[in-house]
Amino acid sequence: MQTDLTFEQVVRDHQDMVFRTLLRLTGSREHLDDLAQDVFLRLYRALPSFRGEALITTYLYRIAVNVAQDEWKRRRRDDRTHISLSDDTSGWEDRLPHPDRNAEQQLEEREFQQAVEEQLQQLSQVERTILVLYHQEERTYEQIAYALNMPIGTVRTHLHRGRKKLREALQQRQTQERRATCTTNQ
Amino acid sequence: MHDESINPANLSQSATEPATEQFDQRIVRALETAPRPQIPANFAARVASELPARPPVTLTPTRYGQNAMLIGTVVTLIALLVLALPSTGHAAFGLLESLLFAEFLALALWLTVWRYGLR
Repeated sequence: MQTDLTFEQVVRDHQDMVFRTLLRLTGSREHLDDLAQDVFLRLYRALPSFRGEALITTYLYRIAVNVAQDEWKRRRRDDRTHISLSDDTSGWEDRLPHPDRNAEQQLEEREFQQAVEEQLQQLSQVERTILVLYHQEERTYEQIAYALNMPIGTVRTHLHRGRKKLREALQQRQTQERRATCTTNQ
Repeated sequence: MHDESINPANLSQSATEPATEQFDQRIVRALETAPRPQIPANFAARVASELPARPPVTLTPTRYGQNAMLIGTVVTLIALLVLALPSTGHAAFGLLESLLFAEFLALALWLTVWRYGLR
C-alpha cells in the first residue's frame, strides 16, 4: 500500500513530461492515456532492476521512447491514418497565449507551428525523437544518448540531419505557398 | 532552452542573413513549444490501482554454501581415515594425507567461524 502511494506520487510528478513527450513522438492524442499508463507500468516492473545509474526522469524518457516505438510498429501493422495534433479542435496551439501579437500574426504563428508539427512527423523516428528530446524536453546529448542507447556522436549527427531536413522541408513548403499565392493573385 | 542555433555550421552566414536567422529562430521556437495534453484528473490513482502485485520476498536464506562445506568436511574426514588405514609408508600417500588434513582443518575452521558469526 505504501509502495503504491509512493509510486502514485512518482506518476504525479512525471505525468506531464510523459504525456507531452508521447504526444509529440506519436503525433496523436489517440490512446495517449493508455500509452502513458504503459510507460508507468513498465517503469514499475523495471524498478527492482533499476540500478540508479541515471535519473529516474532519464530512465522514463527511455521507456517513453520504447513505448512510442511500439506504437509506431502497431500503426504500421494496422496501416491506418492517425489524427494529427492539429486535427483536434482543442489543439494545444490554440491555447498558447500571444498577448503581444495581433490576430494576423497569431494566425501566422499557429500555421507555422502546425507546419512544423506536420514536417516533424515526416522525419524518421530517431530524428524526430532526438529533436523532441533536445528542443522540447531540453535534454543533454548524454541524456539522449542514454535514452536511445546510442553513442553521443550518433545523437549529434541525427540532430543535425533532422534539423536540416526540417528546415529544408519548411522552406520548400513556404516557397510553394508563395507561388500558389502569386498564381491566385494573377 | 539550449543556447544553440538550429544551424551552427552556418552561424556566420546566418548573421549576414537576418531573414534566415529569423526563420531558424521560428523553427526553434516552434520546436521548443511543448504541447499541453489533457491529463485525466485521476490518472496517477488509476495507474497505482493497475500496478501488478509484487512477488513475495523470500526471507528464508539459502544455505547451499554451508551444506557444501559440511559435505566437503565429511568427505575429507573419510578420505583421511581411508588413507590412514593401509599405512603403506609411501611418500605420496603421506603428502596427500597432509594436504587432506590441511583441507580438513581449513573447512573445520571456516565452519566454526561461520557458526559463531565471526566472519
